[in-house]
This record gives sequence, C-alpha cells and structure tokens, in this order.
Amino acid sequence: MKRFATGQERGLLLCTRCGKISPAFQSPRALCPRCAAPVSFRKPQSLARSSALVLAAAILYLPANLLPVMHTSTIFGDEEDTIMSGVLALLHSGSWPLAALVFFASIFVPMMKLIAMSLLIVSVYRGSSKHTRQRALLFRLVEFIGRWSMLDVYVIALLVALVQIQSLASIRVGAGAFAFGAVVVLTMCAAQSFDERLIWDRQVKDE
Amino acid sequence: MPPIVLCSACDVVQKKASLRRRERARCVRCGAELYRAGPVSIDVPIALALTALVLLALTDSFPLVTLKLNGTSRTATLVDAALGLYQQGYAPMALLVAVTTMIVPGLEIGLLLYLLVPLRLGHRPAGFARLFRILGAIRPWGMVEVFMLGTLVALVKLSALAEIVTSTALWSCALLMFNLSALTTVTSTEHFWTWAQGADVR
Repeated sequence: MKRFATGQERGLLLCTRCGKISPAFQSPRALCPRCAAPVSFRKPQSLARSSALVLAAAILYLPANLLPVMHTSTIFGDEEDTIMSGVLALLHSGSWPLAALVFFASIFVPMMKLIAMSLLIVSVYRGSSKHTRQRALLFRLVEFIGRWSMLDVYVIALLVALVQIQSLASIRVGAGAFAFGAVVVLTMCAAQSFDERLIWDRQVKDE
Repeated sequence: MPPIVLCSACDVVQKKASLRRRERARCVRCGAELYRAGPVSIDVPIALALTALVLLALTDSFPLVTLKLNGTSRTATLVDAALGLYQQGYAPMALLVAVTTMIVPGLEIGLLLYLLVPLRLGHRPAGFARLFRILGAIRPWGMVEVFMLGTLVALVKLSALAEIVTSTALWSCALLMFNLSALTTVTSTEHFWTWAQGADVR
C-alpha cells in the first residue's frame, strides 16, 4: 500500500478553524498564528468526550421513543403520540412519502447515528486498521445527515403553536419531545468532538 | 517549497494543485474535499448576505401559516413556535428552536456582513480572526432548511383536520433556505482568507 506522510509525523499542525498550517512547537496550549484558535494534532480527549456524549444520547434515546411527544385534546377525547405513532398516523392518512421522510429523520437517523458513532469509537479505541475508508465514509455520513433529525422538534413546535383552539383542540408538548431534542443535540456534539483523523492513525503505524 | 495542504479528515500532507473553474480538490487517501477553485468576487457573498438579511427579517416577523377551524382561526409566526414551547414549560426546547432557526442564522448573516464589507473596502475589521472563528463554530447549528421541511410535515398533518392558509414567512423561509446554502458555498474558509490577504496587500 502506498505510504502517506501525515502532518503529525512532519510536525505540522492544521488549524481546523481557518485551515492554516503551522509548525508545531513543544507547547501544551498551541494557538493558530493566523486566527488564534487552539490547535493540536488531534482533538483533545476526542474519544472520551464523544463516547460520553454517545452514552448520554443512548440513555435518552429510550424516553425519547417510549414517552409521548405530544398530548392532543379534542372534543372527541384525549390522545397521546409517540414518535413512532406519529409516523404510523402519517402512513394511515395516506401520505406515505411523508411517513417515510419522518421515519427516516426521526427513527432511522438517530439510531443510525448512535450505532455508527459507537462502532467508530470502539474501532478507534481497539486500534483497528480494517475498513478504514468505509469507516471514514460512515463518519462523513453521520456528520452530514445528523442535523435532519431536528425535523420532529420543529413539527412539534409548530403544531403546539398552531393547534390552540379553545375547547375544540389543543396540543401540549410531551416529555418525550424534550428527550428527543436532547438526543439530537448530544449526537451532533458527539460527532463534532470525534476526531476523524484517528480512524486513519493506526494505519500509519501498521504500514 | 511548493504550497502544501493537510487533509482535515485524515491529516495526509499533499501538494496543492491549481484548479480550473468549478473544480474541487479531494484528498489522495481518504477522498475528503480539500478545497475548491478560487473564490468568486467578494461582491457575490455580500449581495447574498444582504438578501438573506431581508429574507430573515421577513421570516421572523410575518406569520408562517394560519389555521382555520369552525370559524375560528389561529396564526403562528416563527417566534410563536418557540414561545409555545416556552409557555408549556419546555424552555430548553424553546431555546433550541430559537437558536437554530433565528439566532444562529441572524448571527451568521450579521457576522458575514461585518467581516465582508470592510474587506471589500480594503481593510480587516476589528476582531477579524476571532469573529471568523465564531462564525465557523456556530454555522453547523443553523438549521433553516430542516425547519422548512418540518413546517411542510406539520402542514400536511394539519391539512387533514383544518383549513391551512400559508403566509409570507413560509415563502421567505423557503427562499432563505436556498440563499443560505448558496452563501455557505461561496464563503468557505479558504476563500475567506484569500479575500483577507487581498485586503492586507491593498
């Protein structure tokens, strides 16, 4: 396999904020000479931070899916909706493309993010050198689609704001929505604190 | 020494190649995008940012939709969407909605104008580097496009129950979504610093 030289081996630091490359000096708190952002070869405590965030998100994933995200009161009675029942309701009302979209954004993406991030963290922790390119692609996918799971938070916010017609119908937020929002934010933070360069580091040593 | 780049995704050192229009350079090892062909005129992002400012002002101040049911009607603005969550005791969620749809896009547009207009006039504004860094940090948290899609889902859900009338802010939000995505594309990090260097020389 072709041998690639990394910035770390050459003693070159890349500023992830402004893209400036600067020579590394033996200083624990190096700052980018151009934009003064803290620079390091790899994000500090990357694995510890992202695994803590993924764990917190995984715990909140349960209430996010089990607790109701909305309470609807109409003249016909009260109803509670979870994330999944919201998808099913869309499916039954005949708008299956929309049901697929909400299923993708609210159920598939958060679960996929949790599984993918755990897989990436474990593989880096164990120093795996297999499927490097695929893992790098997986991380890019997580980073790219992560934001779309905010969709249901906005749907709930709008429904709550709109459906407040006295005595006829009103919608209240459920605790599940709070947990769901927290899962989205925590998994986004987990992806941000994960340093994707770690995926490739072991390979450098092996070659 | 030829100019080099480090891949931000896998740290490989590689020579910087010159690109033709619309071309983009990818990392030799991991395939991540490294940089794109030279910046467009600085007037383009300024024009886009000014447009975005108008669109954001419209989106934040006009109603998104009106719900009509049995002779009564209810109108919601973007602010109402955040406020509704707050009034029901979910302040952190209200904050999340406000930050991702109003505060971050507003800050982003404001910062861009503050940084770009002086560069256009040939000098760097005070606090240039620090504000540029803040811009990079907040950008992932602006989610106008996700909000737009969420609005459409909410409207389809409601259309089964009541009559829906779309209003000004819904259309300005849709335009803002495209505008912000174009703005992000033309104000990439390396283009920004090319403009900044140009301002120093002048």
